[in-house]
Amino acid sequence: MSGALAAQDDAHRPSDVLRTLKKLGFGAVVSVPDGWLGKILVRIEHEPSMRLVRATHEEEALAIACGLRLGGVRTALLVQNAGVLSMGAGMVLLAQRYQFPLLMLVSYRGTPDDPIFYHVPKGRVTEPVFRGLGLAYGCVDRHRPIGPQVEHAATFAEEASCPFALLLSREDIQW
Amino acid sequence: MVNVATARPTRADYYRVLADNLPPQALVVTSLGNASYLWAKLHDAPENFYFEDAMGLALPLSLGLAMAQPSRPVIVVEGDGGLLMHMGALATVGAVNPANLTVLIVQNGVHAASGGQALTNPALDLAQLARAAGIARSENIDKPEALAEKLRAGTAGNGAECLVLATEPDLDVVRPPVTFDPLLSKHRLQAAVGAPRYVHAVFGGGKLEGS
Repeated sequence: MSGALAAQDDAHRPSDVLRTLKKLGFGAVVSVPDGWLGKILVRIEHEPSMRLVRATHEEEALAIACGLRLGGVRTALLVQNAGVLSMGAGMVLLAQRYQFPLLMLVSYRGTPDDPIFYHVPKGRVTEPVFRGLGLAYGCVDRHRPIGPQVEHAATFAEEASCPFALLLSREDIQW
Repeated sequence: MVNVATARPTRADYYRVLADNLPPQALVVTSLGNASYLWAKLHDAPENFYFEDAMGLALPLSLGLAMAQPSRPVIVVEGDGGLLMHMGALATVGAVNPANLTVLIVQNGVHAASGGQALTNPALDLAQLARAAGIARSENIDKPEALAEKLRAGTAGNGAECLVLATEPDLDVVRPPVTFDPLLSKHRLQAAVGAPRYVHAVFGGGKLEGS
């Protein structure tokens, strides 16, 4: 690969997310898609070292991820923020009560950077709901490389034995 | 079409058959209420994972467990109410279709764990539903002996299996002989299957062992 192309790849944040998941030994991703997630999911589907499960609902996806982790596979969830809003009971009664360390990569829709009228309502309540659920989370700093931020989020989930949600903007995750 | 016979076996009838015919190295996931309490009373083992609540999530969790442990049989006991709560999980099981997963649906027509309230629809043909969701090996069963035959036959290697057990409701709460500790349930199963542990970053890790 030429130096110029390599540099371009390094700057491509979704590529760096995928590279980081592979580097950290994530063997599975469970997802309910969002417009921003569609292409990275196809990339994951073609990764020989990873397994993608397309679930029908985010609370179901959370439970599948808990089962994979229970059986010894490091697993990430890729969902939209609306999906986290709809998985509250499973988050509290399963993932948090049994202390499953899960990395949640969450597309953050409805922010001032994504002012689509039907996304805005969930954007407004996302962080208050996360705090209400006791869900540890962070927002990506778009001015810093994404890979280390994903790694720190994954490490926090493991060290704290709990799910950790990293809220992502479009350029972080849309391939 | 209704899998509710006039004289239905009890959950205990089926559980005794399950305990007597459990495949070697099987992992058993049980949903909330008596599904877990009674199984703990009859066959407490490190290979069990007990749900305390989180209704409807035993099936999808067992799918993940079956994927992570493909060399072990995984058996999940879910209720008809729990299944209706997350019916989409059937479609996901049908899509992934792991041959080591056996789904046992206790069809008693009520929400037994919460006192016996009526189900939205107690008369669905759940085996037909499972077949439509992609689980070809799905069958309604109304006798414990039939469950025994299925368990003795083992997995045929053709995807997941779903057995719908016509069952008399059991509303009296069974007192389990063990304390239900979620972390104990998780950690002892992980130890039983040899799941790799996370090595803390301060010890030079930051990854699961072996990855």
